[in-house]
Amino acid sequence: MIHRSLLRYGGARYLWWSLLVIAASCALYATQDTTAQPPNGGTWQGYVLGTIGALLIVWLALLGIRKRSYKSTAGTVQGWTSAHVYLGGALLIVATLHCALQFGWNVHTFAYVLMCIVIFSGLFGLYSYMNHPQLISKNREGGARAELFAELFELDRQARGVAQKCAAEVTSAVDSSIERTSIGGGVAAQLFGRDYSFFLRSAGGASTLAGNVDQQAVIDFVAARLPRAEKGAEAANLQQLIVLLCRRQAVVRRIRRDIRLHGWLKIWLYFHVPMTVALLFALVLHIVTTFFYW
Amino acid sequence: MDVLLRELREGPDGIPEYHDTEIAADELTIGSAADQRIQLLGRSVAGRQAVIRKAGSGLEVISKRGKVRVNLKRVVSAKLAVGDIVGIGGHQLKVVQPPGGFDAALELRMLDDVDASAFESAFSTDLMQTWLGKRKAAWLTVALLLVVGLMVPLAAVMMHRMDKPIPAFMPSDKLWTSGPLNPAHQQAIGDRCDACHTQLFQRVQDDSCLACHQTIHDHVAPDRLAQTTLDETGRCATCHREHNEPATYLVNSGDGLCIACHADSEHKFGTLKVDPVRGFGGTKHPEFMAHLLKPKTTQAAGGFTFDWVPVVQSLKDGKEDSNLKFSHTQHMDPDRVLRTSDSKQLNCADCHVLQTDGEHFEPIQMETRCASCHELTFDPGAPDRQLPHGKPREAILMLQDYFTRKFSDPNAGKPTRERRRLPGHDEEEQTCTGAPFDCAMRSARTEIESQFSRRGCVGCHVVVDTHNEALLERFQVYPIRLAQDYFPAGHFPHRNHLIQGKLTGDEACLSCHKAKDSKESSDLMLPGMPKCEECHSERAAVDRVTVQCVSCHAYHPLASQEEKR
Repeated sequence: MIHRSLLRYGGARYLWWSLLVIAASCALYATQDTTAQPPNGGTWQGYVLGTIGALLIVWLALLGIRKRSYKSTAGTVQGWTSAHVYLGGALLIVATLHCALQFGWNVHTFAYVLMCIVIFSGLFGLYSYMNHPQLISKNREGGARAELFAELFELDRQARGVAQKCAAEVTSAVDSSIERTSIGGGVAAQLFGRDYSFFLRSAGGASTLAGNVDQQAVIDFVAARLPRAEKGAEAANLQQLIVLLCRRQAVVRRIRRDIRLHGWLKIWLYFHVPMTVALLFALVLHIVTTFFYW
Repeated sequence: MDVLLRELREGPDGIPEYHDTEIAADELTIGSAADQRIQLLGRSVAGRQAVIRKAGSGLEVISKRGKVRVNLKRVVSAKLAVGDIVGIGGHQLKVVQPPGGFDAALELRMLDDVDASAFESAFSTDLMQTWLGKRKAAWLTVALLLVVGLMVPLAAVMMHRMDKPIPAFMPSDKLWTSGPLNPAHQQAIGDRCDACHTQLFQRVQDDSCLACHQTIHDHVAPDRLAQTTLDETGRCATCHREHNEPATYLVNSGDGLCIACHADSEHKFGTLKVDPVRGFGGTKHPEFMAHLLKPKTTQAAGGFTFDWVPVVQSLKDGKEDSNLKFSHTQHMDPDRVLRTSDSKQLNCADCHVLQTDGEHFEPIQMETRCASCHELTFDPGAPDRQLPHGKPREAILMLQDYFTRKFSDPNAGKPTRERRRLPGHDEEEQTCTGAPFDCAMRSARTEIESQFSRRGCVGCHVVVDTHNEALLERFQVYPIRLAQDYFPAGHFPHRNHLIQGKLTGDEACLSCHKAKDSKESSDLMLPGMPKCEECHSERAAVDRVTVQCVSCHAYHPLASQEEKR
């Protein structure tokens, strides 16, 4: 799979590049004469580490351009991405050695925090790209999401049709449960699969709005009417309806899971990309303010 | 309120059917969301679009999002009377006369061409359809960064320059700090970066430092620097680096900066004679040289005058020339010398007391260090009478006064008997038969000669008998001068070395100063650099304590050293 081979690209050659950068940075850090000055970004080793870190940040951000440059022949996008992952991890070490774990309420630490958000969201993205595609295709059983929706709408149509032949309460319950099925929604609803479905529970002319999480309540409502069914045709309709609603429940579950998995697959980009842009600005500000007050 | 909701729906056979629902609720929520009491689907219907509630005897509609149509008029809210029609996204909700038992009745006519699947495709199934946005987040963070991290602090810099106070909540240029200030600096200048950083993009200038540190002296006096080929000495901040962690760190104590000049002193220092130094120990550092005082005697009327001339000698060849007669060996031998207070062996600290600087020792004074054993008594019959120390004339006159009184005192019994001690003999008494004054003067002369040439003064001092007829001029006692600091160019904290590893007390002193083997006061008991190297090295090692140049040498000369330059 493409996602797995990201790490093994070219025999994991960028893993070795990354380890080399880390080892060189550690060696440079260790050469700082602690009797002369405590390790920090102000020693010559600190300046070198900072320069390496800044160049890494700029290069890592260039992936956003390279992957859109379809005509470019400067390495494959897959190679770039593999290097992006490994060198991005190395950047965390380089920048931490650069600042020598000295933090404060200032623009410099702010840049470091932004960098950490970018790196850790990137690592989460890597994890998602390694795991979620498998889970998604397993959930859809090979089909597309549109197919799931097509199946849902077909079940909706059938269920409405059968419900029409039943008592008014059942018709109202089934129609409302279809109309009041909630799929997706806001960020939290998509990521955590929150279900805000309702249906109208009618009894003796009065109706109340009842929760219908996982479509279970409406199935129970219809099933409860089965023992009281008078005519054979009504019982048959109700049974058919229950089967349709259960199939519908399964499809809705699958769609909701698909939305949830897709959400987690993409959510990291909403941190990774904007924070990268902010980081580039913060990096410039970090460098400029350093030389404001040299 | 109890509301009757009548929905008009199309039956399976195409014939419209009414579907009644009784609703008991305080208000009727209307919208496309699943939890709305009246759910109206369609792209132009918001999740929570409007509510209908009781207002007086009638009803009112209040739009929660945009406007709704009431009788074809777009309104935010409106009172509803029977016959009014509320239009939302094509659906129509008509207020009708309520039957008995109901507070209100509504007739809902749904838009026909809306089918469920259309709404399901309107579900938000991708994060892109939510409020999350990459560009929005990026530009917001960048704007925050530029305003809070750059613009406002720059404004604070300007306000500082115009001497305008900055409100406490306002982010100032302290957001640019690269680390904490030294606590003393923090206390003195607080958050005013411009106290030191007077210009943007300019390094801190020495003037900023000297504004407060007015008494500090530069490493090399300008006239001496002029003798060398060296450039100006570096900025204060070359060595004194601020904004470090720990905040108390303020001095670059690395050897590199010192060695950069001193390693090549032969070429760089011009006519200044300074031994080259490339580090600590071995051949990198010059041998220790002792700064000693040599007496220079000049013949003067009736005797000598002394000058003390400073000389620098190697530890191997150097000799003390203090004019003192003293044997450390003897004083440290418990068979020969014991303390008067508790009859125990003398400790180094009995005579050598550290000064408060922890580096130098109190000058040895006869009165405080020697007199408890070495009493200046002269008559065993009068053990409470002692000669004054350091005043030979006074001592001579005192002895003459003493014997005059002794021989002329009518109440003293037989004053003619005097005792006399002779070396190798028991005391024997001699008799004077002359006039009491003559006898007294003779006894005094005998005692004076004895004190200056056989016992007393001569025990510790060099005494020259000039054979001058005048007794007061006859004996010349050489003055004593002990060096106070053998290595004035370095500082050695004795206090830090009172315990050395497992050595403590006298053992610690004796590990460097071979006092037990010193029979003469001329012995120079100073350890050389190899002794230091037993415990110290310039590089960190497990069994060594690291030392830098500045561990022993001050960069800024002390005021006392400055005077000598």
